[in-house]
Amino acid sequence: MNSTLLARPAFRKQVLLHTAVRFQGFLGLLIVFLLGVALAPVKDETNLFLDVTNQMNILRYVAETGIIAIGMTLVILVGEIDLSVGAVLAFGATLTAHLLTTTQIGTLLTLIAVLISGAAFGFVNGAVSSAFRIPSFVVTLAMMSFARGLARLVFGGVAIPLLAISQGGAAPEDAFFVNLRLGGVLPVPALLMFGVAIVASLALRYTPFGRHVYAVGGNPVAAHLSGVRVEFTKVLVFALCGVLTALAAFVHAIQLNQGAPNDGFAYELNAIAAVVIGGTSLQGGIGTVAGAVAGAWMLGMIDNILNLNNVQADVQLLIKGALIVVAVALQRLQRRA
Amino acid sequence: MPVPPPESAAAVADGPIRLSARGIGKRFPGVVALDKVDLTLRGGEVHALMGENGAGKTTLLKILTGIYTCDDGVIELDGHAVRPRDPRDAQRLGISIIHQELNQVPELSVYENFFLGRERRHALGWLDRSAMREEARRWLAQVGLALDPDRPLRGLRVAERQLLEIAKAISIDAKVLLMDEPTTALSGDEVRQMFRITRGLRDRGMAIVYISHRMDEVFEIADRITVLRDGRFVDSRAAGDYTRDALITQMVGRPLPEFFPPETPAVRGAELLRVRGLNVVPRTGKQSLTDINLHVSAGEVVGLAGLLGAGRTELLEAVFGVCPPSMWSGDIAIDGERKVFHSPRDAIAAGLGFVAEDRKGQSLALGRPVGENVTLAGLARFVSGGVIRLRDEAQGIDAAVRALRIRTPSAATPVGLLSGGNQQKVVFARHWLTQPRIFLLDEPTQGIDVGAKAEIYALVRELAGNGAAVLLASSDMPELLALCDRILVMCAGRIAGELSRAQASQERILDLATRFGHGGAQDDPRKATTA
Repeated sequence: MNSTLLARPAFRKQVLLHTAVRFQGFLGLLIVFLLGVALAPVKDETNLFLDVTNQMNILRYVAETGIIAIGMTLVILVGEIDLSVGAVLAFGATLTAHLLTTTQIGTLLTLIAVLISGAAFGFVNGAVSSAFRIPSFVVTLAMMSFARGLARLVFGGVAIPLLAISQGGAAPEDAFFVNLRLGGVLPVPALLMFGVAIVASLALRYTPFGRHVYAVGGNPVAAHLSGVRVEFTKVLVFALCGVLTALAAFVHAIQLNQGAPNDGFAYELNAIAAVVIGGTSLQGGIGTVAGAVAGAWMLGMIDNILNLNNVQADVQLLIKGALIVVAVALQRLQRRA
Repeated sequence: MPVPPPESAAAVADGPIRLSARGIGKRFPGVVALDKVDLTLRGGEVHALMGENGAGKTTLLKILTGIYTCDDGVIELDGHAVRPRDPRDAQRLGISIIHQELNQVPELSVYENFFLGRERRHALGWLDRSAMREEARRWLAQVGLALDPDRPLRGLRVAERQLLEIAKAISIDAKVLLMDEPTTALSGDEVRQMFRITRGLRDRGMAIVYISHRMDEVFEIADRITVLRDGRFVDSRAAGDYTRDALITQMVGRPLPEFFPPETPAVRGAELLRVRGLNVVPRTGKQSLTDINLHVSAGEVVGLAGLLGAGRTELLEAVFGVCPPSMWSGDIAIDGERKVFHSPRDAIAAGLGFVAEDRKGQSLALGRPVGENVTLAGLARFVSGGVIRLRDEAQGIDAAVRALRIRTPSAATPVGLLSGGNQQKVVFARHWLTQPRIFLLDEPTQGIDVGAKAEIYALVRELAGNGAAVLLASSDMPELLALCDRILVMCAGRIAGELSRAQASQERILDLATRFGHGGAQDDPRKATTA
């Protein structure tokens, strides 16, 4: 193949920038981690930030956003957006609590039912957007309102407490596997997040579906003319995003010991922030799942560092906002080069 | 290819020097875009600026209009050194530009666009709409446009919008007019009108720079030709001193003896594609098709000629399953078997390949790697058990890249970073990989440079030589005449006639292409069939 092109410095610079943006989530994560170590208070000669329990708590805290962000990555990769994830999470979490406490169907069937509800919301998002050619921004904005309204209407508008029978509640004990830690260290929610991320990454890389996701986001007309089922791919992606949101909802309910129709507020923003910080282009077609997990992890780590240093929560919002702008500015820089 | 003499050779070198750019240099980080380039424009000449993509034509125009500033060299306008700071400043100095991506606001009306940024005002600062309407109407009449100034720009044809820009240039008394591929989107009639007006401006003493990839237009309109290559000045002569071959040689830096590949004896095989009585009523804004009949055999290249909007693209799209079956009626048979494609997916499965007109808009995911773009349509052959065999795929991509001589650093390079010609070869590679037996090509060489064109021509011949049926739509008549065994000429959504290779000439094609007036024919189209 031709090597003269690559020898051109301008071209090489472009390739370099490409790589930098591709891994910006990891670079950011590394920087934040080092900052955390440097800034953390030291108590009894242990760095509070570096402490394993603290790190695992960060992961547990990050898992919900991370799982949703993986679904959101798929949606953004096909050039769409899903604003309804927060509301869908509220519905799923409340449904989890409801099914575990008022029915006898057990943990597994509850989980399956919740995942199906998520898939249904996602399917409707994708199908309506596709059938009526309405931008997903609008359809999912509507769903954001609809799903939350449905959660309140169906479950009575109040939080449903979720306690194990041994603690005086009505939920089966095995539902609380979510609170376990693998090897006594790695929290199950984090395990779920990494598991889903690995499966999604492999699917994006090794399956025709993954290839089609990138192609549809990269140029839907070209994909269509090349025989890719563009609308089918999009609807499937929305449904998958719904399923992952529902998984996060299940974890959410168990971790919080309740399912509340008012939960999940602004979760869509956290998920989108994680995706964008992870280097995924909002125009679609470019990005990785690993980047989104790194983005979510980074946001969680920043929250943790600020908490350890007793910085007030409002500042965390400022920093998150600034980070999103920096991440997108990096992508712009690349495109201009 | 005979070169028509320039219409008024007397105009050459007569006028005073209007603009003189000497020793212009422009460097971008790591690249020298322009290196000591000279350009001398005289009043009353149309000056063609020629060169392959990347030769520096656009950079030079951007320097003249103040979008870039040059690192070296001087620009003199009427003997005074100038340095345009931005397009507005250039316009004030008397340098106007008309380019393909017009800087117009579709939502505003004709007169509002005409006066954009220099609105006429009453004493109190209110807009003087009636004065602007009146003035716009007067200037537009000068370029032969009788438009209602209140019409929104949105509904205007590209030609009308370009004329609007020209009128604007006249109204600000431009001394130098830069035209960057002004005819790309125009029909034959519109091109002739554009030329008429261009000549009128030239005769009034304006200096005009003209950039086009269409050789014939350049020889028709240009008085003088300057050639750039790799950012350097190559030569500048009167147009009459050039032959087509000499010009191409200067542009690419080496002779191209086989620009059009030699004609190979056609080995005609079985009839692969037959269209009978095809009628298409597409979505609004596209040409409807009436009673289309055609057939293409294995080993045959059949051309589709016609003016812009004659329905060539619509025809190819209908055959390829882009329009849903509800929009068309008639018969499409592949290999003698009647087919109804519900989507391009079905068409590809049946052995069709389609290279669409708009490379960037319809064919490529620019941000994705070359490799993914190559295997987008033919991925299935590298999949087993639902998993892509990446190694096999890489080999397939490698073979395609080599077979089509795609110049790319690697298969992982985003395809948007390649040159236009190489991008187009990636699109061909996609269909080369699915090994279709019927190729539908829509303007396959539009906007790519001479060297890449020659390669695509050779490829088209090779495909046909290997037994594929090729249906080629093109606005480039020499291309059609050189490549096709037969040419079908379309006009207003019908096939106006068929010309064999021996019969075909530019005049006969044009005659057929303008057979029916706009908006449909009164004549029975079947009587027009000459073959």
